[in-house]
Amino acid sequence: MTDAPAPSTPAVPPKGKSLLAQDDRTKRRNAAEKRFRAYGIAAISVGLLFLASLLWAIVQNGTPAFTQTFVNLEVALLEEKLDKNGNRDIDDIRKVSTFGYNPLINEALIVATADIETEVEDGDLKKILSASAAAIVRDFVIENPDRIGETVEFRLLTSSRVDGYLKGRVTREDLARDKNLDAAHLDLIDVMVAAGAVERVFNWDFILGADASESRPEQAGIGVSMLGSFFMMLVVLVLALPIGVAASIYLEEFAPQNKFTDLIEVNISNLAAVPSIVFGILGLAVFIQFAHLPQSAPLVGGLTLTLMTLPTIVISTRASLKAVPPSIRDAALGVGASKMQSVFHHVLPLAMPGILTGTIIGLAQALGETAPLLLIGMVGYIASNYPDGIASGFLDPNSAMPAQIYEWAKRADPAYYERAWGGIIVLLVFLLTMNIIAIILRRRFERRW
Amino acid sequence: MSNLLIIAIILGLGVAGFVLGRQRALVSAGGDKRNLHSLPIYYGANVALSAILPATGLLAIWLIVQPMAINSAVSDLISDDSISETGTRDLVMADVRRVAEGLDRAVQTGAMGADTSFALDAGTDDVRDTLASLGVALGSDVTPETLAAGQRYRELLGTGNLLKTLAVIATGLLGLCVTYLRTHKDFRARNTVENGVLLLLIGAASIAVLTTVGIVLSLVFNTIEFFRLYQASDFFFGTNWSPSFSGRGQTSELGILPLLWGTLYISFVALVVAVPLGLFAAIYLSEYASKGVRSVAKPLLELLAGIPTIVYGLFALLTVGPLLVEAFGDGGLFGVSWMAGGTAVMTAGLVMGIMLIPFVSSLSDDIINAVPQAMRDGSYGLGATKSETVRQVILPAALPGIVGAVLLAASRAIGETMIVVLGAGAAARLSLNPFDAMTTVTAKIVSQLTGDSDFASPEALVAFALGITLFVITLGLNVFALYIVRKYREQYD
Amino acid sequence: MEDMIQVDRAMSTQQGTKISAKGVQVYYGDNHAIKDVNVEIDDKTVTAFIGPSGCGKSTFLRCLNRMNDTIDVARVAGDILIDGEDIYDPKVDPVQLRAKVGMVFQKPNPFPKSIYDNVAYGPKIHGLARNKAELDAIVESSLRKAALWNEAKDRLDAPGTGLSGGQQQRLCIARAIATAPEVLLMDEPCSALDPIATAQVEELIDELRQSFSVVIVTHSMQQAARVSQKTAFFHLGNLVEYDDTDKIFTNPQDSRTESYISGRIG
Repeated sequence: MTDAPAPSTPAVPPKGKSLLAQDDRTKRRNAAEKRFRAYGIAAISVGLLFLASLLWAIVQNGTPAFTQTFVNLEVALLEEKLDKNGNRDIDDIRKVSTFGYNPLINEALIVATADIETEVEDGDLKKILSASAAAIVRDFVIENPDRIGETVEFRLLTSSRVDGYLKGRVTREDLARDKNLDAAHLDLIDVMVAAGAVERVFNWDFILGADASESRPEQAGIGVSMLGSFFMMLVVLVLALPIGVAASIYLEEFAPQNKFTDLIEVNISNLAAVPSIVFGILGLAVFIQFAHLPQSAPLVGGLTLTLMTLPTIVISTRASLKAVPPSIRDAALGVGASKMQSVFHHVLPLAMPGILTGTIIGLAQALGETAPLLLIGMVGYIASNYPDGIASGFLDPNSAMPAQIYEWAKRADPAYYERAWGGIIVLLVFLLTMNIIAIILRRRFERRW
Repeated sequence: MSNLLIIAIILGLGVAGFVLGRQRALVSAGGDKRNLHSLPIYYGANVALSAILPATGLLAIWLIVQPMAINSAVSDLISDDSISETGTRDLVMADVRRVAEGLDRAVQTGAMGADTSFALDAGTDDVRDTLASLGVALGSDVTPETLAAGQRYRELLGTGNLLKTLAVIATGLLGLCVTYLRTHKDFRARNTVENGVLLLLIGAASIAVLTTVGIVLSLVFNTIEFFRLYQASDFFFGTNWSPSFSGRGQTSELGILPLLWGTLYISFVALVVAVPLGLFAAIYLSEYASKGVRSVAKPLLELLAGIPTIVYGLFALLTVGPLLVEAFGDGGLFGVSWMAGGTAVMTAGLVMGIMLIPFVSSLSDDIINAVPQAMRDGSYGLGATKSETVRQVILPAALPGIVGAVLLAASRAIGETMIVVLGAGAAARLSLNPFDAMTTVTAKIVSQLTGDSDFASPEALVAFALGITLFVITLGLNVFALYIVRKYREQYD
Repeated sequence: MEDMIQVDRAMSTQQGTKISAKGVQVYYGDNHAIKDVNVEIDDKTVTAFIGPSGCGKSTFLRCLNRMNDTIDVARVAGDILIDGEDIYDPKVDPVQLRAKVGMVFQKPNPFPKSIYDNVAYGPKIHGLARNKAELDAIVESSLRKAALWNEAKDRLDAPGTGLSGGQQQRLCIARAIATAPEVLLMDEPCSALDPIATAQVEELIDELRQSFSVVIVTHSMQQAARVSQKTAFFHLGNLVEYDDTDKIFTNPQDSRTESYISGRIG
């Protein structure tokens, strides 16, 4: 803009200006255009960058959980320690607690490291092993009492610090503040690794195993809570799918235009946006406080998640029902089918792929949901035992995958963070699988009318 | 008889009814199904449904009403004295129930005869020890009054369960017989069955309403209970949040303001991150991007929406928090020491913002695409550039819809739990520094309801008052946002 | 009528060629929509494009201000010159071109803004006014030229979408005029209007001829006969016949044109 006094007549742009030359204003406008475009690209790049860093953090921090370090150790099962009477009486053998096994393991470690020059005192050697070592040896002895007196090779878990050191999570600097392990231990480990006595293998126990106590992260696994999630999803599937489909059929095909229908519609669209924690409060108040169902049970978790997932399923089911053209309904009605028959014989089967897709996506959402589970007591609980059967799978206290991850994230030991990230990988694999199935279903059966 | 067994019996009745009804219809038609009004299966289904539906309905109602009736009958037996000793009626009743359950279990496992179990005397027998040996732990010694109430509870429960079994099975049989007798070839079985199915469909649809009612009732009742123990004005206007865990509420200060402040502050940071990024991404994807770019970038961005919030929580706690401390903490990259620990408003807000990007972008994308192409043509036809068209024609036209989308995102942010539980910290404070740890309404709901506090203390009940506050705020935002978006859609339909 | 056409013909010979298209081809993906069209459009003349649906007349119109650029799959070959300059030359900015070649669309599409802002939009983005007074003057003169001033002068702040259909279309014409174009393209501007509004717009078009070269696509042969001096008949993507309007309607050279105007095809 110039400071020139305003002329009284409108400025007439010069006619016949060549199109081939860009004037300054057009240049400026095109520059603004480029900038604007760049903002858009920047926004998308930042979004994708966030996605990449999130995935990188998960993979980087989580993959170590899938391998675990073991020590191969020959333990002499001394008869005078384990079976003083020498008659292999199983009750006598059971009386020896894990404390009784510690000296044997310590002795075995002394023997194994005899050739190695180390500053670690003999009594401190067992710090490289997990606290579970004695229990593993004891379990073996109780199952095979006849092997007492022999020297048996065991594969024992190393402590989480040693495991972390070999995975690069624990550094020598960290150990300066750690009373559980010294740098001398690490020197020893380095030598043992070179000698092949310590090895890192794929960690099936993490995927299939049970949670462990706070001080034994090296032993913790996500298997039991995976079962908990499975039983919850079973409840959600069995309840949410039929109820959701029935509700959608009513609303889409039969509901008259009246206040009650409006009320239901408003309720469903609002429930879809209610924070998940509120469903947790509902579950706590109705299923536990009022109905006295057992706390921490997958059944209660499943019921709560069912209520949470229903709106999602109803919304997607209604969309698929709506996509079936009215001509199909007319055709069925035209040959004398009742309204109910036209819906159940024709509309519903045609809408089924869409309904299943929506259900799988709803299930995936429920599988990853954590907040409501916290309130109905699926955390703070160590999911250490597999359920005994179907009924106990539904009713016995258990955890669920996301709740287990939360539980691990809260534990103070950084070794548990690795488990939490690993758990996320497992969870995401499930979610990815479900979504891929949904996409395949949609691609395979999608119908354009 | 256990409920599962009752259900199995009813289902058995249903199957029998199906077979019988079908047969009777066919017989009445002389074996020729063309003489029937409806297909044979409808006659069977009719009998089966009349055997199953009323009976299961009765069972469901019974299951809800019986505990309430027994509770109120038994709680009359408890004098006010014993209540003042223990604290609240609920606590005494919990003990009564536990005694009753313990004794039942003792009878079941055979540790006690049925007669001896009723003949127990709280004065002479040590009921607490007896039950503890069976794995039922009691908080205090069993007073004669509690034991009496417990015995009464068991009696009523026994009678109630017996009546329930009889009534439910009788209803099933009655339904079966009546419809069986009515089954005849001219009976309009299909219409009846279809009406029954329609009722089931209506029932399923009503669950949405029931859920809302359940949410409201469970929040309201517990909140009223809370306000009996704690001044409502102190809750809504208190600026201090420091619950005590030992005392019985006298020393707790439960003001919601610091929590609300933390919630709004974190949501604000999240929106500051998510709205510009999401909006520009949506504009680029819908106005500029080629088909190829769009088909790759859009699903990738939406991947962010499919990731569970626990993952974001962990990302905040273990990745973003430490990173921010390295930048803004003591001896950090910028030489400032604004940040003391990894958990902070900034941490949670930033990560929540990332989570909301796809939410904002896909909603805005829909809304921008709803602006008619004619608007764009009109603008391009006048020689406007794309950015001028977007800024001066499309965005003003889409503004109401975008405002709605932002409000929905805000409601998401306010109700988000896992990110703030893990990323925001636990300290309730009213501070302006976004690098301070603060806490939110949702985080406190979690911390007050997990742990061992019983549901009768104000420290636990406050969670319901927090819940109702959260529910009202998010509901208000949602209703308002959905209203705006719907109005906007109607404009271009 | 006869006299008028005589005058028009005299005028059209006085005016030079404004737009000249040579060997224009348009492809929508695999579809060859315009096949080798050659046409010379005169200045200060109303030229009508007629033809059955899907004959390519609108497509060709949209080539003249490069509106086809906004459709991803559209591809244009051949030369289109305005005042002797190739508008598909890479150096030409479509933004500048469209300021010079304005367009009015089939359905009235006022922006959801006030009447004033609708008209002021073009001048604002092209920077035609140095201050508010100038902008006001442009808005007023455009609305006057579009014969909308009397109806709209008291409600300039009211939303443009609140006007009636005919008023909306005149507002869109005012909006197009406001950027001081030299050519005005109209894509079936009356097809969404009632007969009275149509008559008003047609009257307006006749007046606009004083200042612009107007190219109008129309479905209605009567409309073409009423408003235009030159007519081009398109069929299946070909320009079949192009001549003075009265000649096309009274003495068509091509049998297809004759069939169309006599109602046998279309």
